[in-house]
Amino acid sequence: MSDNIRLQAVYAPSEDVVAREIEGELILVPIAAGIGDAEDDIFTLNETGRAIWKRLDGRRTLGEIVLDLAAEYDAPPGEIETDVAGLIAELLKRRLVVVP
Amino acid sequence: MPQTFSLSGTKLLALARAVLERGASFRFRAVGTSMVPFIRSGDVLTLSPLRGRQPRVGDVIAFVHPVTGRMAVHRVVCARQAAYLLRGDAVLEPDGWIRLEDILGRVTRIERDGRRVRLGLGVERFGIAWLRRHEALWELARRAGRAARQWKWVA
Repeated sequence: MSDNIRLQAVYAPSEDVVAREIEGELILVPIAAGIGDAEDDIFTLNETGRAIWKRLDGRRTLGEIVLDLAAEYDAPPGEIETDVAGLIAELLKRRLVVVP
Repeated sequence: MPQTFSLSGTKLLALARAVLERGASFRFRAVGTSMVPFIRSGDVLTLSPLRGRQPRVGDVIAFVHPVTGRMAVHRVVCARQAAYLLRGDAVLEPDGWIRLEDILGRVTRIERDGRRVRLGLGVERFGIAWLRRHEALWELARRAGRAARQWKWVA
């Protein structure tokens, strides 16, 4: 995992984000100062991102999520780790996930 | 990875509804000409939840259009119990009576080229609504008058 993201860490979606699955896409709308801004800050997650996001339940560690995904997608855990670390770093930067 | 993207009509409606249900406002870019000159295509609108406040005549509101099923933004020109007659400021025909449950929220801010536009949302909104509501009656009266003159000429 990257320097800042550890396998033992646990994350959950921020309360200041609305996540909706629409037409097969998971769309995230951050709410800042009481406004969900469709102009600047809306994001969509690809299939990998969606699978990771759905497992960020505030209970499972990233390590558990990696093993779960590796089993489901029959992929090497190393590759999954890279994807998970990359997404978590991005979500943290945008304050879309928090440490519960 | 996250990425920015433009919203289709279906996504815009679903996201607006989701954000407003959370009690937050929703900011998005308007597309279309039905509210010209007060709202132009490309203006950025802030939609606020009703929070128990019933829409009033003159308010500009977002609603689920009964024909397209998409989100539209038009003005309330008449209110009756829990139904509202809506009409675009630049549209001849009203949208019909829209039920409260099909109303998403109220436009509380208009931005154009980064600057706030107040015209159309202030006290003048009552006058605009009155004019829009009675325009159709005036048009009918004008046509009736013309028909009457033609009949008199023939008679």
